[in-house]
Amino acid sequence: MFKNYLKIAWRNLIKNSAYSVINIGGLAIGITACLLILQYVAFETSYEDFHTNKDRVFRVKQERYNAGKLETEWAGGAFAVGNSFKEAIPEIEEFVKVVQTQDIIVDVNDETLKIDQVFFATNSFFNVFSYPLLAGDLNSVLKEPGTAAISESIAVKIFGTKEVIGKMLPISGGKDYRITGVYEDMPLNTQLKPNFLASYATFVEQVKTNSNGEQTPDDAWDWDGCLTYLMLKEGTDASAVEAKFAPIVKENESDFTKQSNSSAKYSLMPITDIHLYSNFMMEPGATGDGKTVYLLFGIAFFIIIIAWVNYINLATARAIGRAKEVGVRKTVGSNRNQLIGQFFLESALFNALALVLALGLMAILIPAFNQLSGQELSYALFSKSTFWIGLTALLLIGVFLSGAYPAIVLSRFKPVEVLKGKMANTQQGTLLRKSLVVFQFAASLFLLIGTLTVYKQIQFMRQQSLGLDIDKTLVVVPPIVTDSTYLSQMLAFKENLLKIPSIKSVAAATTIPGQPVNWNAGGIKLVSQGQELAKQYRVIGVDYDYVDQFGLKLIAGRAFSDEFGADPEAVILNRAGILQLGFNDPEEAIGKRIDFWGNQYTIIGVSENFNQESLRLPYEPLVIRLIPDVRGFFTMKLNSSDIGSTIAQVETQWNSFFPGNTYEYFFLDDHFNDQYLADQRFGKVFGFFTGLAILVACLGLFGLASFTTLQRTKEIGIRKVLGASVLGILKLLYREFAFLLMVAFLISIPVSWFTASNWLQGYAFRIDIHWSFFMLPFVVIVLIALVTVSFQSIKASLANPVKSLRAE
Amino acid sequence: MIRIKELKKSFKTEEVETLALNKVNLHVEDGEFVGIMGPSGCGKSTLLNIIGMLDNPTEGSYNFAGNEVAGLKESQRTQLRKGNLGFVFQSFNLIDELTVFENVELPLIYLKENKASRREKVMKVLERMKIAHREKHFPHQLSGGQQQRVAIARAVVTNPKLILADEPTGNLDSKNGLEVMNLLTELNQEGTTIVMVTHSDHDSHFAHRVVNLFDGQIVTESHNRALEARV
Ligand SMILES: Nc1ncnc2c1ncn2[C@@H]1O[C@H](COP(=O)(O)OP(=O)(O)OP(=O)(O)O)[C@@H](O)[C@H]1O
Ligand SMILES: [Mg+2]
Repeated sequence: MFKNYLKIAWRNLIKNSAYSVINIGGLAIGITACLLILQYVAFETSYEDFHTNKDRVFRVKQERYNAGKLETEWAGGAFAVGNSFKEAIPEIEEFVKVVQTQDIIVDVNDETLKIDQVFFATNSFFNVFSYPLLAGDLNSVLKEPGTAAISESIAVKIFGTKEVIGKMLPISGGKDYRITGVYEDMPLNTQLKPNFLASYATFVEQVKTNSNGEQTPDDAWDWDGCLTYLMLKEGTDASAVEAKFAPIVKENESDFTKQSNSSAKYSLMPITDIHLYSNFMMEPGATGDGKTVYLLFGIAFFIIIIAWVNYINLATARAIGRAKEVGVRKTVGSNRNQLIGQFFLESALFNALALVLALGLMAILIPAFNQLSGQELSYALFSKSTFWIGLTALLLIGVFLSGAYPAIVLSRFKPVEVLKGKMANTQQGTLLRKSLVVFQFAASLFLLIGTLTVYKQIQFMRQQSLGLDIDKTLVVVPPIVTDSTYLSQMLAFKENLLKIPSIKSVAAATTIPGQPVNWNAGGIKLVSQGQELAKQYRVIGVDYDYVDQFGLKLIAGRAFSDEFGADPEAVILNRAGILQLGFNDPEEAIGKRIDFWGNQYTIIGVSENFNQESLRLPYEPLVIRLIPDVRGFFTMKLNSSDIGSTIAQVETQWNSFFPGNTYEYFFLDDHFNDQYLADQRFGKVFGFFTGLAILVACLGLFGLASFTTLQRTKEIGIRKVLGASVLGILKLLYREFAFLLMVAFLISIPVSWFTASNWLQGYAFRIDIHWSFFMLPFVVIVLIALVTVSFQSIKASLANPVKSLRAE
Repeated sequence: MIRIKELKKSFKTEEVETLALNKVNLHVEDGEFVGIMGPSGCGKSTLLNIIGMLDNPTEGSYNFAGNEVAGLKESQRTQLRKGNLGFVFQSFNLIDELTVFENVELPLIYLKENKASRREKVMKVLERMKIAHREKHFPHQLSGGQQQRVAIARAVVTNPKLILADEPTGNLDSKNGLEVMNLLTELNQEGTTIVMVTHSDHDSHFAHRVVNLFDGQIVTESHNRALEARV
């Protein structure tokens, strides 16, 4: 029986080859797209999944409130959090403190090597997390001050071997480290990717030395910068533990915090949530975007549904062709279930063939997809059991969803009706078929409208004026290794740079545009105000030339200038800053003094708000503080097009002033636009899959149009004999699709409007949704549908009626 | 074998109700060859379909070999039909995608016979219908007469008690038509009961008994003395 079914399915497939190509091709494209996206989604949702204890390891999140209002959210918090919580809460099994620190330069064999991603961590790091320690003692690897663990590839890079335990590693301008551990390079799907992991004890020692023994991080509730991870005992309720935080925090609150009417609230975030749901201040590594992942997931869903819908549409449209077979089978003894089984088998055959094709397509497309999405899918995928499980699931769901309706319709035919010798005209399923076509059109429109919105927003962000001039600006990364002569060195360096004719100006700042301002200061207020009015501000330390170089627009007061003696105590606030201080009129703020951690500064200017970062983010209250000898990025405004020689000239200066430091530079506008890479990538991926979805939908439409036209061949013939014109016939054929398109358009408008505006909410600066965002895709889809339908319709309307009538 | 009493069949469409059969009474005994005649639209095919259990009567009773059929569900009718009945249609109704052999084999597959016995039975009947040499051909590669022989082969391959034929010669020329009629007669002589709808007086002479339908009612029954004498 099975063989008989398979045989007839196969022969039908061959006989109606155009139909089969459309169906299998559409399904294959759908499955490929779906698999690619699912792999991407699987990867994005797999972050921190490999930790054995992932269910009970949390990161402690900090929220800072001023006067009861949430001001900032932090990935890290006070240094005392880990040990204090553990001491007071028995449900906590272990804590890990992780502190990110600046890059280091190591000296090996007369060569300097810069290492980034440098962290301090407590000894519990390798116990709580499942990063494999390849060499070293798990119980003591990060216990002693002056010890460090390094990643496998860094070990090989520095020493040329992985056998490095016990070796001493000299650091430029710092103390040597003894290597006590080597760990496997961090997997891709984790946030922390240290190249160099020094013991937290080293950090404690450094703090002690720098503060002459006065400060210990473990008692510090007032300064921030420590990431704390907690591992709870098995079976512990996280919210119950969370509830115990507040009293501990309250008890340790400093007088200063109390007076400032500010507070910190700590909570737990499962480590598996970090990647997609946290993008707080002080993240120790890149995070992803949950919204993007779920939108892509939605696209995958649409594409595969469109492909299945094609199958349903074509299979039922073709039902007439199968009616006789059903009638005969029933007369010779088949029951309905057997027929249902037969048609399911057929959909299984189509789906399975499509799947095989999809695997081939996928193998071909993986490199292109990686380039498009910035993902790192590899062929190793094919050896993963989850991949095959997913594939099987997709196949089964596909067979069921696409096979069920045709099977029911086809198996319902009554032999008496279909065997009359004439073809029964099955009006059955036309409504469903029409609804499905409407769905396909609507989904295509939705995706197209979405793509357009994404592109428009990206274009807007790139073209919008930032309120800052970042063109032709060369940035040089500050030196890491410095000594006590740094200040004079740096001033001399700047001076010498100005002598290069192609350099118009040189400035220095702690943070450059395109970077998050990590210097956050709470407790800033007007001198005249009580401590309870203190608020949080982002602070940028700049030299005299900064304001001028970046073209900051001052709406009140003046820029920093060394013509005035008292300027080192001067600050400029942006509009958002003075608003937070309580001034609506910028002029009012001028000359007012603010209290910044016990020191007083005078507001000498107010700048218009500008976009320090991506337009995704809102303006934040800024304090631009003058630090004439600021340590930070050097920025140079160039006036020549001979960039290559300028870069070389700067390098010469660099090498003479900061020997032992790598010369690193980039252009500020590139750096700024890099912020949009993720957005652009999303736009491209979205656009690509939208294209695929539309292609699949068109395939289906083409097939359907062929069948409906075929069914109407006789009608068309009669109409022509009776005098209908070719145009008249075409109108007749298009009318039906035009109506369906209109319905689809009406459905897609609210859905896409809702989704697009929801997506745009994620951007502080965003475009308004314009009516053309709907009209343009509609016109495109109408044209595509017109071309698709025309292929068959024109042929049919031009055909000689004698032929079609004789065939009856 | 067939006991039909006060049988009614009406078709309801949105606007009209057509009474296709009205109070039909008919008995067919084992081994009989019955012809049904009448003008177009008088209900011949409807009656045959009900006898063949492809359709249910609206009213009345239909007893087939001791089983009441009226009111049975589709699946029950299928069960009762399987192996007991064979159909021959005017338009052959072969499955285009299956070969001659596979078309004939189909009823046996649904009877879940094993492969070897299927092959044996199919070949036997194909030889008998003189079409065995075409076993690997597809229907569209055959002439009408050959196609109808394949259809008869399919109808008899299960050795049914009853064969129902709806204008089996309607689409054939007289030579092929005669061949078909001879085959049916042969089968009847071997003991198979046959009920055949026909428009042709010529074909009706092969039947023992001819039932005349008019407007859904049996108006006359005539016995073919010559044939009866032969039996
Ligand atoms: N499915 C149906 N729906 C509605 N009416 C039907 C249906 N099938 C048959 N009829 C009607 O029932 C009546 C009998 O039809 P039937 O097909 O039995 O006639 P027939 O005697 O076989 O005619 P012919 O010699 O032309 O084949 C006709 O009036 C026909 O219109
Ligand atoms: Mg008839």
